[in-house]
Amino acid sequence: MVVPVGELEVPGEPPLPTGVPASQIQGRSPWYLAWLRLRRNKVALFCGGVFVFIVLFCLAAPLWAEHIAHTGPNENHITEKVLIDGQPTNVVGTDGTPIGPGLHGQYLLGADQNGRDVMVRLMYGGRTSIYIGLAAAAVTTVLSVIVALLAGYYRGWIDSVLSRIMDVIWAFPVLLLGIALGTALAIGGLKIGPLAIAGDSIWIPIMIIGFVYVPYMARPIRGEILALREKEFIEAAVAQGKGPLQIMFSELLPNIISTIIVFFTLNIANNMLLESALSFLGAGVRPPNASWGTMIADGYEMIYTAPHLTIVPGLMIIATVLSLNVFGDGLRDALDPRAKIRLEH
Amino acid sequence: MRATGSEMNTLRKVVAIVCITPLAAFGVAACGGNKSGGGGGGGGGGGDINVALTSFPDYVDPQLSYTLEGWEVLWNVYTPLLTYKHAKGKEGTQVVPALAEKMPDISPDGKTYKLKLRPNMKYSDGTPIKASDFTYGIQRLFKADSGGSVFYDNIVGAKEYADGKAPTITGIKTDDNTGDITIELTEANGTFENVLGLMFAAPVPPTTPLDKDATNNPPASSGPFMISKVEAPRTMTLERNPNFKTVKDAGADEVTDAGVDKITITENKNNSAQVTDIEQNKVDFMVDPPASDRLQEVKTRYGSRFRMEDSINTYYFFMNTERAPFNDLKVRQAINYAVDPEALNRIFGGRLHPTQQILPPGMPGYSEYKLYPGPDMNKAKQLIAEANPADKNITVWTDDEPDRKRIGEYYHDLLTQLGFNATLKVIAGDVYWTTIGNQSTPDVDTGFADWFQDFPHPDDFFRPLLHGDSILPTNGNNYSRVNIPANNAKQDELLTKLIGDGGVEQQYADLDKSYMEQAVWAPYGNEQYTTFLSERMDFDKSYHHLLFNQDYSSFAIK
Repeated sequence: MVVPVGELEVPGEPPLPTGVPASQIQGRSPWYLAWLRLRRNKVALFCGGVFVFIVLFCLAAPLWAEHIAHTGPNENHITEKVLIDGQPTNVVGTDGTPIGPGLHGQYLLGADQNGRDVMVRLMYGGRTSIYIGLAAAAVTTVLSVIVALLAGYYRGWIDSVLSRIMDVIWAFPVLLLGIALGTALAIGGLKIGPLAIAGDSIWIPIMIIGFVYVPYMARPIRGEILALREKEFIEAAVAQGKGPLQIMFSELLPNIISTIIVFFTLNIANNMLLESALSFLGAGVRPPNASWGTMIADGYEMIYTAPHLTIVPGLMIIATVLSLNVFGDGLRDALDPRAKIRLEH
Repeated sequence: MRATGSEMNTLRKVVAIVCITPLAAFGVAACGGNKSGGGGGGGGGGGDINVALTSFPDYVDPQLSYTLEGWEVLWNVYTPLLTYKHAKGKEGTQVVPALAEKMPDISPDGKTYKLKLRPNMKYSDGTPIKASDFTYGIQRLFKADSGGSVFYDNIVGAKEYADGKAPTITGIKTDDNTGDITIELTEANGTFENVLGLMFAAPVPPTTPLDKDATNNPPASSGPFMISKVEAPRTMTLERNPNFKTVKDAGADEVTDAGVDKITITENKNNSAQVTDIEQNKVDFMVDPPASDRLQEVKTRYGSRFRMEDSINTYYFFMNTERAPFNDLKVRQAINYAVDPEALNRIFGGRLHPTQQILPPGMPGYSEYKLYPGPDMNKAKQLIAEANPADKNITVWTDDEPDRKRIGEYYHDLLTQLGFNATLKVIAGDVYWTTIGNQSTPDVDTGFADWFQDFPHPDDFFRPLLHGDSILPTNGNNYSRVNIPANNAKQDELLTKLIGDGGVEQQYADLDKSYMEQAVWAPYGNEQYTTFLSERMDFDKSYHHLLFNQDYSSFAIK
């Protein structure tokens, strides 16, 4: 067989040679084609790199804390002094003002009101924020896929019930729903059957954020499932005697995997934003643990004399969310250039 | 009384989030909170003013409110039979007649108090003020589970009434026709005139719910102001009481008239925004001291309308002596050795006088001493090692006001350094005291607490906070759950004496030391307050009262 001109052509890539036997042409999987498309999107790649850098930066927190800052993220040093230009300087002044950023190994980004090293808290806070973003995205994805597969495959009353539940959750503004849940669960924690999470656990914001975004992901995926459900290969699978679970997981799921990946990526960014907002409002990560949101909340009162306490974590949030969003958009374009996937809320 | 912290005002913070994120994006940082507009001015003893506070009062109810913020507002709304002189400094701690014609006649055994209500006085809604309204107010204390009830349970029949065994308090007899009020006590009480001057004992109309919080519909007033609007926990409005004239006409000269027509009080969680609002004359007074980062600026740039004020209070960490690990004396002593008052002073922006005892300077019986010199972490660790507590899981409580949160974080870190597995619980200030004062709240191990004098008698720092009888199911103030029978008996004995009697002050000083030998608290400081007014306010007329903070009747526009 000879490959005709134009077939399997990738826009922007050199055209395939003509008249070459198919056996001599290396196969290109959809993933490889997606990679080729992504590789051409330099901005998306750059932003992906920025995100990876931020992750590495945060993962290095224990190294920085142990070898450079010599302090943990929650250790107070209110009455201690640090050498700056050979001069012993109060970490927190007698009037309560902390030292600002400077090129001194310890307290590179200054201290907060409790004499804690802002750089250390920034790195540990980033770990918390990214961890929550990833874990909550995983929770959202698992729940959304289950809901979408059940609703899209079975249709009928199951679809109606699940869709109405999604509508109810959708009807609440995400932030207010998150605050309500966060405040309610902060003291008593969460207990559902054998599942018990303490009120100060990091899993409380993870579960809240993971839950509130389910409709935003489940509804578009359900739409795709509904469309795929009508395709001939599903009829063929049914005819072959495959059961519903087999069809859902071996036929439908592989066909929506690219959509799920894109949603997952975009969700991380949204989750991090929501985590910051909830923590700022006191309904997310519990003090004294650092997250970028709690750091902004802590620095908010000192914005006149120590603006770095608010600006630095704010910039980190922006850099992370921006890089993830641009990279996610690039990934969407690469994986499914004709799709109209949008994470709307 | 306590100084309330408060809950995040969520909506306002939502607005702040919207501000913060884009601001951070552009590297700019400036975001204010709610800004209430300046009221219409007006000289000659009138005009409207705006007051900002960080934490809304716990209750807008004279029988229930037990916080600094609540008392500051309610002092000029609900007038008891006796009151405290409207004057600055020590003169303000003098008890004077208010709704009563004169100071009480006390029987030689000190157990019977006879007072007479002034005639023809009316509440703000026109209802006549009757002698029996006093009884009703005291009954409300017990039926509504007020934290202030401990001051009045020595009235004959009060305990039976509280327990539901009697339909009324037999020790209070009133005659609405003559205005006579007779109060029988179970034993002589050296502070009873003082407690009669608290708003707890203010008469209220019998239409006020007996056993419920009346915050959303406060009772009619008997003071210079009445509460015309309450939207708890956001705002409330005080306006001139149209019937206050009847109180003045009855001869209540010690109850001063209002200097302004209307006071709008608004909660604003952003202390910096409050400071800016006063600097820009959008708000006329802020209840709380400026945040530590603005204090120097305010002192230097606005010195003509700012001053530091003495206040009689003690800040401390309570430790639940009924539960491990704080049921071990060595653990409690270790905490006292470890706490660094200077660190906490810096959190307060330098407004804290370090202490390690219960009674504050200025209180009779105060005698400076220090049992646990430090901070000495080595000594603290040694004591913890000796105690070797089996349970090292500790829940540390504090509220969400910025200073309090930082104090909680400091304390959490300290306990972690001492080897405990500490968990910090930061809860809304509006419900903080009622939560930790509720015996059914789980895991109340240790945490932030403070106490401001209710009246200038050392018993006020012992009975509500450390007497075994103050361990109440709800609204309790004995957070350390201290119940030392010998000290309870000593308190009861001293209460029967007058503070001026020979040796009584020294015995209170000894009692202070006795409690600290048991390390029932970890006290660390006495806070200074501030007065900061807008430019249009008459700075010289407005003053800070030692018991009730700013006297709202002294507010006046230039």
